[in-house]
Amino acid sequence: MGFRSYLLRRLGYAVIVLLVILTLNFILFRVMPGDPEKMIIDPNFKQEAKAALRKQYGLDDPPMVQYKNYMLALLRFDLGLSFNTQRPVWDELKERLPNTITLFLVTFISTAAVGISLGVYSAANRGRFAERFVVGAGLFAHAVPGFFVQLMLLLLFGYYWPILPIHGTMSAPPPDGALAQFLDRAWHIILPAGSNLVMGFGSWALYTRNTMLEALGQDYILTARAKGLPKRDVLYHHALRSVLPPIVTLIFMSLPGAVSGAVITESIFSWFGVGRYLLDATLQMDYPAAQGAFYLIALAVIISNLAADIAYGLVDPRIRVGAGGTK
Amino acid sequence: MPRKYRLILALALTVALAIGAAGVPGAAAVKFEDWGPHVDEIIMPIIKNADARRIAFERGESIVWAGLTKPTDIDQAKSLPYADMKMTLGFHMFYLCFNMRKGPLDAQPLRQAIAHLTDRDNIIRTLFKGYMLPMSSFVPQVSPFYNKNVPFYEFNAKKAEEVLKNAGYKPDGTGKNWIDPKTGKPLPEMKIFTPTYEVAPTSAELGKMIADSCQKIGLPVKPEPMDFNVMLDKLDIGEFDMYCLAWSLSKLPTFLHSFFHSSMDVEAGYNRPGIHNPELDKVLEDLYYANDLKAARTAADKAQLILAREMPYVPLYSRPYIDAFNKTQVTGYVDMNGFGAASYNNPWTLLNIRRVDRFGKAIEGGTIRWALSEEPKNLNPITASSAYEQEVLSKVFDSLTVSHPDTLEDMPWMAEKWDIGTWDVEPGKKGTTVTWYVRKGIKWSDGMPFTAEDVKFTIDYLKENECPRYLDATMDIVKTELIDKYAVKVYFNSVSYWHFYNAGISMLAKHIWKDVKDWKTFQPWLEPHPTIKGYTKLVGTGPFIMKEYRPGEFVRLVKNPNYWRLKPGK
Repeated sequence: MGFRSYLLRRLGYAVIVLLVILTLNFILFRVMPGDPEKMIIDPNFKQEAKAALRKQYGLDDPPMVQYKNYMLALLRFDLGLSFNTQRPVWDELKERLPNTITLFLVTFISTAAVGISLGVYSAANRGRFAERFVVGAGLFAHAVPGFFVQLMLLLLFGYYWPILPIHGTMSAPPPDGALAQFLDRAWHIILPAGSNLVMGFGSWALYTRNTMLEALGQDYILTARAKGLPKRDVLYHHALRSVLPPIVTLIFMSLPGAVSGAVITESIFSWFGVGRYLLDATLQMDYPAAQGAFYLIALAVIISNLAADIAYGLVDPRIRVGAGGTK
Repeated sequence: MPRKYRLILALALTVALAIGAAGVPGAAAVKFEDWGPHVDEIIMPIIKNADARRIAFERGESIVWAGLTKPTDIDQAKSLPYADMKMTLGFHMFYLCFNMRKGPLDAQPLRQAIAHLTDRDNIIRTLFKGYMLPMSSFVPQVSPFYNKNVPFYEFNAKKAEEVLKNAGYKPDGTGKNWIDPKTGKPLPEMKIFTPTYEVAPTSAELGKMIADSCQKIGLPVKPEPMDFNVMLDKLDIGEFDMYCLAWSLSKLPTFLHSFFHSSMDVEAGYNRPGIHNPELDKVLEDLYYANDLKAARTAADKAQLILAREMPYVPLYSRPYIDAFNKTQVTGYVDMNGFGAASYNNPWTLLNIRRVDRFGKAIEGGTIRWALSEEPKNLNPITASSAYEQEVLSKVFDSLTVSHPDTLEDMPWMAEKWDIGTWDVEPGKKGTTVTWYVRKGIKWSDGMPFTAEDVKFTIDYLKENECPRYLDATMDIVKTELIDKYAVKVYFNSVSYWHFYNAGISMLAKHIWKDVKDWKTFQPWLEPHPTIKGYTKLVGTGPFIMKEYRPGEFVRLVKNPNYWRLKPGK
């Protein structure tokens, strides 16, 4: 099987998964307890007024009609109007996406960089205090509930030692000038991204340490050492390079988790993003808004998985050939 | 506790809160005035997280910590030397509801006995450290329609047993149940639904306290905390014995009709106890279709007396509004009965609040920072519905009438007067008319004059477009008639004093809205004003103009230079 066939097959799976998710997305909001009508219809309205509004919003339509309308609308990328705001859901998501992507990228890059570096460092210092410290700190940060860490950091740097902003992506009002605004935004992202870094570096560090330790025990490393290569070259050019494929996979596989983790971070730090939007919409039974946010997150997850599959296929031909198959 | 002691307790609580932060030199008191505003700019940072809002208040980044409900927060605010605590009675009501559609709670004596087993004072002391007001009537004490003669069911287990015995109930001999005289069998288990401990710990504990109290005299009552949405679904279809929840009520007593008229006992209707009482129905109809204020008061009084006898709910307590202001930064905030000092329903704080200098002296102008707890999201005045949106819109728009902060009586505002009359809808059928006389000299924030044409346009526009938020208010309007440039008459298809409030809706600027093609998707705060650079189409007659809105970050409002109430006596 060639790479094209492999790619097409993966794309086909992705489309099927997307359809299943969208269908579940539709069903989930309709079977969960609660009544969305209460969000859009004043309880004190007369019965005639309530009936007119139910008709206006299509809440009277049979479920299959609602499902058909929902799927056709999604194909057009029409996510509908939010019950809560009466604004197009896509407009609302577009406003929030840049903030979520910024927070995500800063968090992801910093966490990966710190986690992998510490993993390599602790592997190179096996048995020493540095390794024990990294492993202990990593396990602790990984085990403590994320929201607790974030609230503690909010209290520490927002109240007891008030040196960092506690909400938003910018000062109100922001300073004049592009550079000042950039620095202002950087100052605001320190606490949310920093808290994510504290929570997330542990798993990266531990995974990297373990794979590095395994690699450092291999014969080719012994050979490299025997050849008299400097320790640094052995560590980075031989051992780290050999463990990069599984780490790259880990990077792609952790993308969905990072996206969904935004819900808590954005709520605690009043960060104007998609995660907070999803939480509000779900709590308020705002079907179109919640479905729109889920749709976006589902797309992000499926694309991440697809990217992981493609990366796998590129770096390891055995994957695209398939189990037991030959080219 | 006897009523007079409870009143003393409430007063003592108010005084304690008022002087709670005493000891630090405060700002000079400012007399309440009906003109303003006295600040040039309000910056409203959006801080969704409750802990972050508290920190923002303590860091001086918000002049107010509004809507305090948790005793720990109230105590924390009281401990801050710069916090000035304000407490105002509210329209909140927490209650225990009975399902009267089925046995055994269809029996009035059993409901009355449970009312006697409800220890409000203990609940308030234990769960809320005293920061609630005991409630015995179906209308909150702050309402102008509150009937102080409603009988009170004091907490008294012996009295509860006496009520049961007088009605023919007999102890079953085990001390764990009573024999129902209707069935001759022991009473079935009765459950009190509440939200879970995780979602609403005080409500869940309160249900347990009432159940414990009932069990002490042998009534088989058990608490059952459950998922809030599941609970609401069960209430909608009448599958419950008892439940505890809260209402946020309003100044108008018409909610009594919604909650207790038999026609409202439909699936998902608001007559949740399922009360069907012809005498009550008649009184509630008299209330709902009252010709004038006097008739409305008489009907509201009667309805409260009948309800106290029938006991579909046990009213438990009312939560006051408690707000903390930073008195080293501002002064002049005004308590408003029913709404609190920091509520968007209170126009008086907005007009009267001033900055103070470092000596505590009130000064004119300057900027204040007032944290918003949620995103305002939608600033289209037709479709905006949440309180967070009203936090902003209430500063940009003004109304035809306002409520007096103490008495809550209607006061002339943009309308200098009004007439309420009747007309013949058709032979033999009368309807109400409301004539508004608009004050001369009022301007929209873009400088255009505000006239009765805007009032007529607004009412016609909302009715013709069947705008959901105003559907109920405009449904009974038949037509509007422009009498002259400053007077407009609104015709209703039935007689009701409450139509007066249906006609007094937020006004739209005709010169802006007449060209709006789709009101549902119109975003006036994003579209540039057709003639004035730097302005948007969010044009109102209120004291402020929205200058900037960064979604998720902040809202910036500046003083409206065309505001009609900038000077006293105008």
